[in-house]
Amino acid sequence: MTDKPMLQVVDLTIAFPTAAVVDQVSFEIPQGGTMGLVGESGSGKSMTSLAVMGLLPREARTTGRISFMDEELLGRSDRQMRRLRGDRMAMIFQDPLSSLNPYYTVGFQIAEAYRAHRGGSRRAGLRRAVEAMDRVKIVDADKRVNHYPHQFSGGMRQRVMIAMALVCEPELIIADEPTTALDVTVQAQILELLAEVQQSTGAGMLFITHDLAVVSQVSDRITVMRHGRTVEQGTAEQIFSRPSNDYTRQLLAATPRLDDQVDLPEPILTPVGSEDS
Amino acid sequence: MTRQPLLRAENLVRDFRTGPRTIFRAVKGVSFDVARRETLGIVGESGSGKSTTARMAAKLIEPTEGLLEFDGVDVTYKAGKALRDFRGGVQVVFQDPYSSLNPRHTVEQVISAPLLYQGRKVLGGRRRVVKESMERVGLNPDHSGRYPAQFSGGQAQRIGIARALVVEPQLVICDEAVSALDVSVQAQVLDLLRDLQRDLNLSYIFIAHDLAVVRQIAHKVAVMKSGEIVEQGSREAIFDAPRHEYTQSLLAAVPQVDPSWEAARQAG
Repeated sequence: MTDKPMLQVVDLTIAFPTAAVVDQVSFEIPQGGTMGLVGESGSGKSMTSLAVMGLLPREARTTGRISFMDEELLGRSDRQMRRLRGDRMAMIFQDPLSSLNPYYTVGFQIAEAYRAHRGGSRRAGLRRAVEAMDRVKIVDADKRVNHYPHQFSGGMRQRVMIAMALVCEPELIIADEPTTALDVTVQAQILELLAEVQQSTGAGMLFITHDLAVVSQVSDRITVMRHGRTVEQGTAEQIFSRPSNDYTRQLLAATPRLDDQVDLPEPILTPVGSEDS
Repeated sequence: MTRQPLLRAENLVRDFRTGPRTIFRAVKGVSFDVARRETLGIVGESGSGKSTTARMAAKLIEPTEGLLEFDGVDVTYKAGKALRDFRGGVQVVFQDPYSSLNPRHTVEQVISAPLLYQGRKVLGGRRRVVKESMERVGLNPDHSGRYPAQFSGGQAQRIGIARALVVEPQLVICDEAVSALDVSVQAQVLDLLRDLQRDLNLSYIFIAHDLAVVRQIAHKVAVMKSGEIVEQGSREAIFDAPRHEYTQSLLAAVPQVDPSWEAARQAG
């Protein structure tokens, strides 16, 4: 184990022919740590994560540095990035249904994710799939591998996606709004699962979300983004108890609280028959 | 003392046919009421029946069984003039502002559409009413010739609200009306809804899956699960002293910022 960060992003700038979308963003993730990227739509948080994975559209011009385990990622070929993605670096997206192929069983798809990087027989791949599904607590994994995506609930599908992300035991997990489409009780389970997985595998995590309460729970450190720029960076405690930036403060103030309420206009309770008086 | 609510629903049931001999009961007998200038929040997870309930309250679909009363009049299964009158009194704001606004209509056409459907003659003309309505929701009335795609999400939702208000309804049903919005925009739209309630004595039925949002807008809350209301009460009762196990588990699942961090920030 080294003290060097596993992922280091330095002065990342992403520009499209028409506009710059990310401007000089820097952050790092230590071994086993979680960086939360939080911001509203258009803040550049998803573009940043796509850049780390090498999934930006061709017309995007990227400058800066992204080093992963001391290897520079910017400027790598698609082929080199493909070898990395799904293997040492895995992704979990918002919508599991559109990330899964409806025509194949989930077991086949998890097995493919494994075999694409590690090879081996279909049977061996399927065995890995069962193990991975067990690890994300899908009951009866040995039977469920043969089911199709539509036979799973939204929360279960996201577990399948997490199983697929974990099958090659990645060093870095990139989760882009992984619980946004889920019901709140399911969200709580998935967040708990991600924390457990990270604990047991020691993987680092880049967690992208618009939800401040979620990011406060999952992150060690947080980067608040707006219009492609970093407005503030710090530990979760710093950001939430002593925000130094006005925008962060506004964002926190705008977030509705479950344990506090604003005043409402008084309802008019008209007794029957007195409406004309 | 008996009080007459603006809208009253009694034992609403709604079945959907799912096959030649199978029926799915999405809503299994729910009762609630809304007073003038009052907001009823309906919360629940996906599949709880909250949207079906909202659609019955808006008379977008009819209940299989049950009674719906508006302003003391039974409106269940009513059509024709009674339905037109109801549409003048009850309007709906939907979740996705872009898909619920005709992209090929100017904002003026969008907002004045309900007036047209109801064949209303408007004092001072449609154009003036549209501009007033835009001003009321915080939109620049000079933009009435623009198309929905030229507005941001928050502005587009304001167009949806302006359209609902143009017939001067007494009740507006908001089905996940702020769910797609960024948190700072969401806060502004919630502010607007509260201001409109105060100024126009509006009532709302506010459907949402986000419990913290519901606490900021609803006087009382109904918690739905599997087609039933498991608990109903004032927002203080539901959020501070939930009695039903399901409500408790729902509230416990909502992610929250560490209260000590929150306190430190408020103090600093």
